[in-house]
Amino acid sequence: MNHDRAKHLLYAYADRQIGIMRRFFLRRHVTGCPSCLAELETIQATRSALRTNLPMHRAPPALAARIASALPREMAPPIPRQRLHFGFAGGSLAGGLAGVALTLAVTRVVPPADPLVADVVADHVRSMMADHLTDVPTSDQHTVKPWLSARLDLSPVVKDFVAEGYPLIGGRLDYVDGHRAAAIVYRRDKHVINLFAFVANDRSDAPLRLDTRDGFNVVRWRTGGLSYVAVSDVEAAQLLAFVHLVESG
Amino acid sequence: MGTVRRYDLCFAWMDALAIDARNRRFELLAMPHLDAAFNLARWLTGNTADAEDVVQDAYLRAFRYLDTFRGENFRVWLLTIVRNSFLDWLKDNRSGRQLFQPAPADLEWTDPNPSPEALLLDRVDSETLSALVAQLPAEYREVLILREIEDLSYKDIASVTGIPSGTVMSRLSRARLALRKAWISNEKRP
Ligand SMILES: [Zn+2]
Repeated sequence: MNHDRAKHLLYAYADRQIGIMRRFFLRRHVTGCPSCLAELETIQATRSALRTNLPMHRAPPALAARIASALPREMAPPIPRQRLHFGFAGGSLAGGLAGVALTLAVTRVVPPADPLVADVVADHVRSMMADHLTDVPTSDQHTVKPWLSARLDLSPVVKDFVAEGYPLIGGRLDYVDGHRAAAIVYRRDKHVINLFAFVANDRSDAPLRLDTRDGFNVVRWRTGGLSYVAVSDVEAAQLLAFVHLVESG
Repeated sequence: MGTVRRYDLCFAWMDALAIDARNRRFELLAMPHLDAAFNLARWLTGNTADAEDVVQDAYLRAFRYLDTFRGENFRVWLLTIVRNSFLDWLKDNRSGRQLFQPAPADLEWTDPNPSPEALLLDRVDSETLSALVAQLPAEYREVLILREIEDLSYKDIASVTGIPSGTVMSRLSRARLALRKAWISNEKRP
């Protein structure tokens, strides 16, 4: 290896970033070239000075927390999870993929007694017992939606999913968790599904959450600043399928 | 329940699960490199407050683009984003001020006359060395930090900075030479 080429590669040599062959030829040149040898020593001195004395700035302790809170809401520290066993998980669902997905996915947050769940279940039961299921009994989404919007300062998803087996029955006004709420009523076979929509204090998006109480399934989520809660005595699987329709509706 | 709806249900569940899995994946991948990310940002911006802003922005971007990470080296991927966040921060905060100065093209790669003084650089104290590095052009500073503190290979430095590997070699050489020259003139100052 000639002198110019060797000189050109001295840094890469010191950094151990050249291949073994070039390394060999370079070393052979350097041992016989005082100029390159002196230069290499200087390079190595510079390199070791940087490596030993250049301070590493460590992230301030608060930065991790600051980033965690700035990340989308789901970034919050993991909440203890517990497996939830559904009757349908193995039996009523055929198909390997479906079964696997559910077995994997059927976990949920187990909350302490949740006032919202109790509240919506009570609302749901009352709505059927008092024969006051709907204020506006119609399957026409173009009637229900404006009717609700005119009485509440919100515009929830209202859509007839009759083709999918969840016909729209109507709408009414209700209260959930101290908030005026739109109750949109659907039917699944002989079961009633109440879908509540209201504006909660917390308007950030929140992923689906399933709770079960007194034989009723309750699914809640937040999207577009609106809180939704679906409650019914249909199987959890069917209620979730319904929720998925609403969400993608 | 028909087949279609059964799969819809699965997807609903998988969506919910995926959000959670993504967060945990991000935590596991990104949080161990917070010091590296901050160190680079701190050296580039020159102060802690701006470095924190740059790192936060980079982490939010990394979270958003997590699905584009294809394996390989997460630290390299993350540092690339930190550098991009820094460039955007520059645009927003230092309009008109060119921090990335083009390297003087005629600057030699190697010291034509290695002097005994240069050898003494290994006895320079940390504070002086920091000040000298801080005064280097940002494009020299970044390759030095990536090489000497992060210990990245030339190939990885090329990924982070978006310059060819061959250029990494010459830029590092120039950076270290510039540092030596700065140190020598610093020593000669009364
Ligand atoms: Zn030589």
